[in-house]
Amino acid sequence: MDNGVASLVGLVRISKSYGGVRACREVDLTVRAGEVHALLGENGAGKSTLMRVLSGDLTDYTGTITVGDRPVRFHGPADAQRAGIAMIHQELDLVPGLSVAENIFLGREPRTRLRTLDRRAMLRETRTLLRRTGIDLDPRRQVGELRTGEQQLVSIAKALSLDAKVLIMDEPTSALSSAEVDRMFTVIAELRRAGAGIVYISHRMDEIGRIADRATVLRNGCVVAEFDARDMTADQAAEAMIGRPVRAMFTTHETADTGEQLLEVRDLVVPRSRPGRRDPAGISLTVRRGEIVGLAGLLGSGRTELLETLFGAGGRRRGSVIFKGRPVRPRGPRSAIRLGMVYMPEDRRISGLALDHSVLANTVLSVVDRIARLGVVSRRREAGAATRIVRDLSVKLASVRDPVSALSGGNQQKVVLGRMLLTEPDLLLLDEPTRGVDVGAKAEIYHLLGQAAQRGMGVLLASSELAELVGVCDRVIVLRGGRDVAELRTEQAGEADLLAASMGEVVPL
Amino acid sequence: MTTDFVAETRRASVRSMVFRFQSLFGLVAVFVAAIVFSPSRDGELLFLTSDNLFNVVRAVSEIGIIAVGMTFVILIGGIDLSVGAMLGLAAVGSAVLLVENDFGLVPAVLVVLAVGLGFGLLQGVASAVFGIQAFIVTLAGLQIARGLARIWSGGQGVAIAYGEGPGEAPIAFSLLGERTFNGLVPIPALIFVVVAVLAVLFLRGTAFSRHVYAIGGNEKAARLSGVPVTRVKIVVFGICGLLAALAGIIHAGQLNQGSPNDGLGYELDAIAAVVVGGTSLAGGRGSVVGTVAGALLLGVLNNILALNSVDTNVQLLIKGLVIVVAAGLQRLRPS
Repeated sequence: MDNGVASLVGLVRISKSYGGVRACREVDLTVRAGEVHALLGENGAGKSTLMRVLSGDLTDYTGTITVGDRPVRFHGPADAQRAGIAMIHQELDLVPGLSVAENIFLGREPRTRLRTLDRRAMLRETRTLLRRTGIDLDPRRQVGELRTGEQQLVSIAKALSLDAKVLIMDEPTSALSSAEVDRMFTVIAELRRAGAGIVYISHRMDEIGRIADRATVLRNGCVVAEFDARDMTADQAAEAMIGRPVRAMFTTHETADTGEQLLEVRDLVVPRSRPGRRDPAGISLTVRRGEIVGLAGLLGSGRTELLETLFGAGGRRRGSVIFKGRPVRPRGPRSAIRLGMVYMPEDRRISGLALDHSVLANTVLSVVDRIARLGVVSRRREAGAATRIVRDLSVKLASVRDPVSALSGGNQQKVVLGRMLLTEPDLLLLDEPTRGVDVGAKAEIYHLLGQAAQRGMGVLLASSELAELVGVCDRVIVLRGGRDVAELRTEQAGEADLLAASMGEVVPL
Repeated sequence: MTTDFVAETRRASVRSMVFRFQSLFGLVAVFVAAIVFSPSRDGELLFLTSDNLFNVVRAVSEIGIIAVGMTFVILIGGIDLSVGAMLGLAAVGSAVLLVENDFGLVPAVLVVLAVGLGFGLLQGVASAVFGIQAFIVTLAGLQIARGLARIWSGGQGVAIAYGEGPGEAPIAFSLLGERTFNGLVPIPALIFVVVAVLAVLFLRGTAFSRHVYAIGGNEKAARLSGVPVTRVKIVVFGICGLLAALAGIIHAGQLNQGSPNDGLGYELDAIAAVVVGGTSLAGGRGSVVGTVAGALLLGVLNNILALNSVDTNVQLLIKGLVIVVAAGLQRLRPS
């Protein structure tokens, strides 16, 4: 078509409604061979709906899909796959009880001549595939034992094994460390050279600039802008997504070097999912009141495990933790919360929320027994507490009685934050608080964290997004192999320094 | 578009209302069907006589009480297969303590209830502390309770005679087979209603109930939010055992005997009542009101089939179909 480059697939005037709500309105989009086409937009802008149409998941749309200039109609994901279109889902479609290799070959397992399962061939082919994509994983490991980031890599490998010509990636890096992101970008570059077309959905502007060729921005189901991705600025994109100029993403709060010491961790050895070869010396760090301290590090560096251990949700530990001036060793989350710590886990769908329960029930869960008198909960006080915190955090919703699943990712995350804040904590432990959250909500969450710090809380924030750590935190502690290897003040250090400190040496993933 | 949206929302809320009280609608439907198909005598519909209606409630009271306890267990995403055997154990225990050990009424009842509670708590510990699946734990519990009932009774039914002398149970115990309010309301039905009302209030308004629902909704999230998951689970199994024992005492009182084979298969009837009542086997969603409606629905169905002298084998087929249809309708529920 234009530029003489063949279009692999085209979407022509695609519309899709859910009930009375129109998710996509007459969207045109083409994916050319050998290009990475970024799809941008806030949550709810229609990106996922559009991609579900393209991948054959939604079949009741209007408009036309063309594959190689021929109109087609998919009646299910299998049709789309046969046409060479594969989607890597945000919610991973892997079977936790099966191994990496079994997941990749699920439904098309290699057979021996006797029609029995050819395990050796399966393992061999999986190894080749993983090596080609630069993913260092044992194909025999159970997927359920892998961390989210590793699972994501498995589903990418799975889609690649289907020889897809068009690969749809929905926030593929949201759970990856920067080293893994680099590795994946190498894979994507490889695919591009081989002539594949990639639709790339992400909230991370820096990634778009690095790998995308073109970018299309959706807002309220419509295409509102198209850019040449290489000379698009983050502000341009954000403005198109939100429809108005962006206010400053990161709000500064008073840095409180003088705040009283809240948390002191000394030589804490945390149980890790992939222990290093040598016995680690442990992690030492401090958090003052009014301070936001970041935790940087690659996957497996011990970030998540440190937070879990502090919260009493991890395994056994060695070393000492002094909190509010006295040594503590919480027996579990309940006693940690009583001490004044709260924890936001990295995956809100799996460990953060009961999705089909109401916003109300999810919000007050940590304090219902405080609200109760003699074990009896006053419905008025309960609803009052939920409504107040939901308003304080400006959660967008129709009613606190709606299920949490009806909310956008950012608002769901605010519900988790609201539940934490209702306990009136002193220390917030946060693991990837803005994962899968759109730009607007991200800024709001940063703002709320700044407010919490200003009110005298301490915040320990683990993130794989370096811009976030640099933008939000006063100091960042870099973890590697279960030890703290560097501490950087964000006034002086930038993302490059963090990355260098995280990598340090070649860390086996 | 806005009006579309409003209409859509209104439709959705009416629909969710219907689904929320699905079991009540189902109960009304079965009730109406029962009136239509009721045989009549002397121009009076047999189904609608107060005697018959109270009989329906009396007949479901044991299963109903067990199903209330089962609702708690299923709400946390568990299951309790031991309740039928526990009913047998409690019936035998009541008979043996009253007749052979000359216990007074109150001590006997308290001991039996304590056995049920303790047994349930132990199952809760095995499931919540040691992480064995509830299905397995209570399957083992079923065998153990049945075995204990055999041992305690010497392997056969223990008849209960009433009187003042040794070897005779206090006459008060026979009240469980009687009716009150001018001989109208069967005592077991009354106990069932009291248990159900208490459970409804408990499950609506206590912090404990919020924890129960949260565990069923997302156990991991509940734990990380500070819910004492282990303790709540243990207590829930305790409640279920306690209510099964209560049903066993009533059973012994109604039949004037305790047999180790009492309550055979009751666990499945109780689970059926809970499921027909709209409680999700996955946990986190459901209500005692639904369970009571489910139990009554199955009771009315039994009653009308019996009144029409439908062959008992055919009755089983019809009951099975009703359970499947009820569960199938719930899949249509908007999530």
